Amino acid sequence: MTTPLVEMRDISIAFGGIKAVDHASIDLYPGEVVGLLGHNGAGKSTLIKILSGAYRRDQGEIYVDGKQVEIYNPRDAKALGIETIYQTLALADNVDAAANLYLGRELMTAYGTLDDVAMEAECRKVMGRLNPNFRRFKEPVKALSGGQRQSVAIARAIHFNARILIMDEPTAALGPAETAQVGELIKQLKAEGIGIFLISHDLHDVTDLADRVTVMKNGEIVGSAKVNEVTQDEILGMIIAGKCPPNATPGPGAVNL
Amino acid sequence: MKFAVKTLLASVALASVMPAASFAEGKTIAVSWKTFQEERWKTDEAAIKEVVEAAGNTYISTDAQLSASKQAADIEGLVNQGVDVIMVVAYDSDAILPSFQLAADSGVKMISYDVLVEDPNALYVTFDNVGVGRLMAQTMLEKGKTEGNFAFIKGDKGDPNATFLFQGIMEVLQPNIDSGAIKNVCETFTDGWKPDQAQRNMEQCLAANNNAIDAVVSENDGMAGGVVSALEAQGMAGSVPVTGQDGDHAALNRVALGTQLVSVWKDARVLGKTAAEYANQIAEGTDVTTLDGVSTFNGGPKGVEVPAFLIAPNAITQDKLAEVIDAGWVAKEKVCAGVTAGSVPACD
Amino acid sequence: MTDTATGGTGAASRNRDSALTRFLRATEIDSRILGMIGALVAIWVGFDIYSGMLRPSDGLFGGTFLTARNIWTLLVQTSSIAVMATGMVLVIVMRHIDLSVGSILAFVAVVIGSLQVFWLPQLGLPIGHPLIWVIALVCALALGGSIGAIHGALIAYAGIPAFIVTLGGLIFWRGASWAVIRGETVAPMDKTFKLIGGGISGTTPGSIGATASWGIAFLICAGIVAGLLYGRKQRRKFEFPLRPVWAETFLAVTGCVLVLGATYVINRYYWPTGVVNRWAEQNNVTVPEEGLDISFGYALPVLIALGVGIVMTFLATKTRFGRYIYATGGNPEAAELAGINTKRLTVWVFALMGTLAGISACISAARLDAASNALGLFDELYTIAAAVIGGTSLAGGLGTIYGAILGALVMQSLQSGMTLLNFESAYKDMVVGGVLVFAVWLDQMYRRRLK
Repeated sequence: MTTPLVEMRDISIAFGGIKAVDHASIDLYPGEVVGLLGHNGAGKSTLIKILSGAYRRDQGEIYVDGKQVEIYNPRDAKALGIETIYQTLALADNVDAAANLYLGRELMTAYGTLDDVAMEAECRKVMGRLNPNFRRFKEPVKALSGGQRQSVAIARAIHFNARILIMDEPTAALGPAETAQVGELIKQLKAEGIGIFLISHDLHDVTDLADRVTVMKNGEIVGSAKVNEVTQDEILGMIIAGKCPPNATPGPGAVNL
Repeated sequence: MKFAVKTLLASVALASVMPAASFAEGKTIAVSWKTFQEERWKTDEAAIKEVVEAAGNTYISTDAQLSASKQAADIEGLVNQGVDVIMVVAYDSDAILPSFQLAADSGVKMISYDVLVEDPNALYVTFDNVGVGRLMAQTMLEKGKTEGNFAFIKGDKGDPNATFLFQGIMEVLQPNIDSGAIKNVCETFTDGWKPDQAQRNMEQCLAANNNAIDAVVSENDGMAGGVVSALEAQGMAGSVPVTGQDGDHAALNRVALGTQLVSVWKDARVLGKTAAEYANQIAEGTDVTTLDGVSTFNGGPKGVEVPAFLIAPNAITQDKLAEVIDAGWVAKEKVCAGVTAGSVPACD
Repeated sequence: MTDTATGGTGAASRNRDSALTRFLRATEIDSRILGMIGALVAIWVGFDIYSGMLRPSDGLFGGTFLTARNIWTLLVQTSSIAVMATGMVLVIVMRHIDLSVGSILAFVAVVIGSLQVFWLPQLGLPIGHPLIWVIALVCALALGGSIGAIHGALIAYAGIPAFIVTLGGLIFWRGASWAVIRGETVAPMDKTFKLIGGGISGTTPGSIGATASWGIAFLICAGIVAGLLYGRKQRRKFEFPLRPVWAETFLAVTGCVLVLGATYVINRYYWPTGVVNRWAEQNNVTVPEEGLDISFGYALPVLIALGVGIVMTFLATKTRFGRYIYATGGNPEAAELAGINTKRLTVWVFALMGTLAGISACISAARLDAASNALGLFDELYTIAAAVIGGTSLAGGLGTIYGAILGALVMQSLQSGMTLLNFESAYKDMVVGGVLVFAVWLDQMYRRRLK
């Protein structure tokens, strides 16, 4: 556990003069779940989109396995084993589950054409594990339920041997049973040594599943702490007031009292 | 034919009185163009300018850029500059009437050029447009067919010229239609005068009549091209006479090749030259009604009688191709491309 | 999308389905294509009966519409728009629009027209040189493609909406075509080039004759059967449910009968007597009393359109390029996040559209045997209309190549039929405009019912 899987150092990004992320640093170790907390607009989604290649940072460095890397676009991130499940799911609504699963890395036949049959077969296998009741392989994902769409998005993230998984509000659209299922999945992935960034509004979700939490406020890191060393009230204090409790490591956004 | 001769004579007569006038002090003759973005007006301008300057007068011009209000302002400006004669290619012939009145009140003489403005004091110089249709039909009867199944390929339905042309055509053909000699088997408008549309319409016409078409009256040369292509696909090009107008280079080539009977040609240079010669004379103080060759015209929408000079268009058939070549309108090589040696006199 | 309307679970609901639904499910035929073919057949039969009432002829129902000659002509007339409509589908699927295709067509046409008639002869290739048509064709594709790529680059990298870029293109290239030839008409085209339009050049027809037409028909039949067999093999390999054998057989037989039937009809259109006589004269053949029946066979522009249709269908459904276009149309952000370079894709799609406009320019100029700056006027509207009648959704993400081709055929059928019946052109426009709106309404009703 000496080298972090991912380390983002001193990251800043501004949109039209507004600093969405301001000198933020964060790290993640193999087999660890780090919960990223904060209000809407605190900068957590933006920070994570820099890692997944959707945005380019203005400043700062990213290390994967201790080596400095450049991430210019989502392809670069995927090449490094960084997969993302977006809050919006980012599915192409008009094509079927298999096409979404393989979007951007389609299986090809020997003639250089799309191997739709092979992709569908693989898709049936993956979905069989994640959501055994899923049958609607031929329909565009627009026609699927929220939970089914979610499983397609998750399948896409874990199917390609991800080492670093970013989950942005993975349970927002789900009912209790499906939420529990996602929780099980996270534990399973964790056991396989995958590092997970978990972004959520739901404090309970995070305290149940995460090993550590990092809280952001106004684009800055308030602080990080091991989940079992701080109380829920203390975490709430970090989110709401930017108060960093004694057991946590303070960041630049911590309010000095 | 006889129209053309008359025109030529008129021009010659005018040209001979010119020098006497040109020794007087220089007058200013202005032209208010409705637009200068179309190439044809450059041809007119060159002709006008040459005649005006040869008489020792000054030529100036304005461009209304397809705006009626800009044209009114242009004319007002020209009047204020104290020009002697203004020729107007009106953009909107009704909206421009007050400007004509203003000019007349200031003692400036007006000429409506190519487009009719119904002001009884302004001289109207133009081609005989109804005559184009008549001329097409006459040529068809004289050198093409006098009986059989006729197809009529008309221009755009939104363009009044398409209807005027057709009136002229029917005026001439009606007796033969009434007698049953000519049968109107298809008659279609053509969106935007598009050649490819004309081709489709002709194909459908041929199919509907099982190729029993004896003559085609097409209202312009572009569409005639489409018609000839449709006929050619049925191996009928050359045996079915086709009319057209504009003196398109490609059409003149078809006339030489024998696939088109006639292209009625309105030489913009004759129009420019004639109008400029009149302008010179009017600038010297000659009264419009006493000008040589000027008669009256009342065929406009309001029926106002205006002094007018209508230039007869020229029906270019195979035996008259030398005229367009000699006039410098088109190069001989273009007209004669692909023509078998010895078959067309103008190409030898 | 092709099979279930209900997402059918359990045998009970399946038994309630109508015979048609079960048939469609088994054969996996898109029911919309059936609807379009039905509409086409209705139009054709209607026109034939109606024209027969006015003037009896030898059509299938006694009219002038369903004759070999008219069907042949109809296909030729459709080809130029059909070629461009296949590209327009992809443009619209990507949530863009291309208003400039008619103007690109005109510009390419006048450039390659001038090339054949003025420029190449000046450079020492005499008129009639066998290389001229090749050079003209290559230039047309390259020029169309480059113009499209420029539009695409402006849209993708400069961030100007496609509507604006191509509206500008619509005006710009129409002006540019005027500037090239100063409003003149360039004619005639090269003798070989002219064949691309399907017309007759002397006694050489721009079509392939009876034997080659049958050859192509059998080739397509073989292709249909091979495709079905390959699909079945693939499904078996991955243990997917197979279509019932009767459904497979039905598809194969129907496909082959349609292809062979069409070929039979096309081959019944013979050379007109004028051409036969000229040909006989040149070849010292005596034409027998009852005349000589020489078939035109499939016309080159129709074969070009067919080829373009097949290639474009392949591109759209079997390649990454096509998959990415549809995914981007469905959700541009998702496509971007999946690592698709949507900007480059946009450039390629518009370049493809431009190339197709270049092909159509060749067809149109060759067919008219002339190039003028008025060529292709309003074609952008007909092209968009064809795609939309064919089921392409302007919201993006939805549309098929075959639908657009059928759409073009429906529109041209209406226009040709009404011309044949001597409808006034004002009424023709009203009907075509009405049908456009009606078709889209029908399609939306259908989709809503599907949900």
